[in-house]
Amino acid sequence: MTGLRETPLALEEVLAAVADPEHGGLAAFLGATRREADVREVVEIVYEAYPELAAAELSAIAGEAASRFGARLAILHRVGPVPVGEPSVAVAASARHRDAAFAACRYGIDELKARAPIWKRTVFADGGAAWIDGAGPAPGPGAPR
Amino acid sequence: MPDRIVVTVRLFASLRERAGADRLRLSVPPATPLGAVWSHLPEAVRGTGPPDGVRYALNHAWTPPGAPLRDGDEVALVLPVSGG
Repeated sequence: MTGLRETPLALEEVLAAVADPEHGGLAAFLGATRREADVREVVEIVYEAYPELAAAELSAIAGEAASRFGARLAILHRVGPVPVGEPSVAVAASARHRDAAFAACRYGIDELKARAPIWKRTVFADGGAAWIDGAGPAPGPGAPR
Repeated sequence: MPDRIVVTVRLFASLRERAGADRLRLSVPPATPLGAVWSHLPEAVRGTGPPDGVRYALNHAWTPPGAPLRDGDEVALVLPVSGG
């Protein structure tokens, strides 16, 4: 199960999606908006996706996790504004044993970050905002990557 | 063979904001390479040209920039991603 969501993410949903009575290892990852109060305080990150291709890419990553690790992988990514402390991405993997579950979970988040056509616009407490897409104006030091 | 074709260009993130629209229709010569759509964008959207790491999709599939465009194609300009 993979996809984009406009509503808050629940870890239970991705964990339930990978449940398998033959799988004894379950690993999960949540990525949340970071405040970075010591650099330039962030209030929220707004995520935008290319929905058709993001859905296809997340689904492809799950398929790769199945063939590489024998794992079931679920990935949900939020779109729209995500306030500090709330998760923007939820990943869960299950496999027969823990090594494959950890590896598949890691694979899921790493490949998503590298490949999925999703972008963040960081909104700062000082009123500024910056797209992290290689084309917007430079966000300045300390911008999240 | 027509001397122009019309393609739709999907824009995201800062490109979308610059354009003030999430898609543009462009008239280009037939068989224009996918990656050459940059030169047909309005100057305000094009900026200094494609940034390092840009990728392209044609009709919702990743496609190399040399692929020739056909009438009615949907192009997406995929800037370096930052999800997660």
